[in-house]
Amino acid sequence: MFFFDLDATITKAEILQEIAEKTDKKEQIDALMKNVSEDVPFYHTFIEKIMVLKSVPISTVRNIVNNISLSDKIVEFIRENKDRCYIVTSVPDVWVDALMSELGMQERYFSTKAISQGDYVVGIEQIIDKGQAVRQIVEETGCLSVVTGDGNNDAQMMVVADVSIGYGGVRAVSPTVLKCATHVVYSEDRLCQFLRQLL
Amino acid sequence: MSVSKTIVISCAGMGTRLGIGTTKALVDIEGKPLIIRQLELLEDFKDIRVVVGYQMEKVIEVVNSYRKDILFVTNHNYRNTGTGGSFSLGIKHAADMVVALDGDLLVNPEDLRRVLSSDKECVCGAVPYTEDPMYMKTLVQDGKTYGVGFSREEGEYEWTGLAQVKTKKLIPGDRHVCDMMVPLLPLEMELVRTKEIDTMADYENAVMWVRNGYKDM
Repeated sequence: MFFFDLDATITKAEILQEIAEKTDKKEQIDALMKNVSEDVPFYHTFIEKIMVLKSVPISTVRNIVNNISLSDKIVEFIRENKDRCYIVTSVPDVWVDALMSELGMQERYFSTKAISQGDYVVGIEQIIDKGQAVRQIVEETGCLSVVTGDGNNDAQMMVVADVSIGYGGVRAVSPTVLKCATHVVYSEDRLCQFLRQLL
Repeated sequence: MSVSKTIVISCAGMGTRLGIGTTKALVDIEGKPLIIRQLELLEDFKDIRVVVGYQMEKVIEVVNSYRKDILFVTNHNYRNTGTGGSFSLGIKHAADMVVALDGDLLVNPEDLRRVLSSDKECVCGAVPYTEDPMYMKTLVQDGKTYGVGFSREEGEYEWTGLAQVKTKKLIPGDRHVCDMMVPLLPLEMELVRTKEIDTMADYENAVMWVRNGYKDM
């Protein structure tokens, strides 16, 4: 079973950054990021960003997310092997559901669950535990588990997977991923070649 | 080439005897890191895996500056495993045929190309030249030389760490690549010209060798 991070793995840009840049939230997000260090837990900063971006209508965010360029070869692999793939993302469900439908993955993704009212996110019901998502499917299926991701929060999945691939094709692989991945790759073509060897 | 082939270059070790403060694969040989000299000879291969451990970020950076389509395999336990441990990680989910290449080995380009252009399984030996060689015991039959064992005491040739074998025959191990070859013997031996870089004397020798066109003076 193949598990893919969405942000900067399937998408060719960082989703929350892209939302900020396409709206009037860029300055606030940049100010937030200035104070971020490796010592601050990923989800602490992540929630702060969501709180900044929640005043952007869901419909606007969906539109922005749907227009982010995708890693074509990875998408092709997912489409060809849909019944063996899952997407696991920290980005709230209401912001990515349209993209998941477009990818044909509406029934095969895990994400943070948002509380929404009308066209706005008003809170977070549950932050995703990426490791738990992988563990759940692996326990159900007993299949070889292959995780692909790049960020510190992907390490949660990597430590429970049989094969964990740090993908640095969009942005640098995080130090935590380097410390726990079984493989690291920087080319999308090469990543997909290896994924096919794992089929 | 009729079969798909995976090249596994093991670069996880620390190179403490050389005293360069980095892994041996990055040692500068006549203006180029050793790993780049190896990769230059592997242009035709699509499935190259570099096993990294000690200072992996540095190795990744150097390799990426030359070629982006390398699969890095991480050996996080590099302090406690030998080249066999790294090779075992590299052969997981590999092609039908796999090539073992140590990251501290310089191979005469002509000899390496000859081995790689064939689909024949083989273990590669050299005329003994290092201070503390692992010898290959050999047997000659019908004009061909076969590797039949490894020994610290005796043997006509020196084991180089270079081998080309069918992946499914290999049993993973943590120690040395030669230990993994033992159950596969006898295998035809290919005589190659190599320089392994373990000590400062090896290094000086290797630099002269490259300067002289990968030949002894």
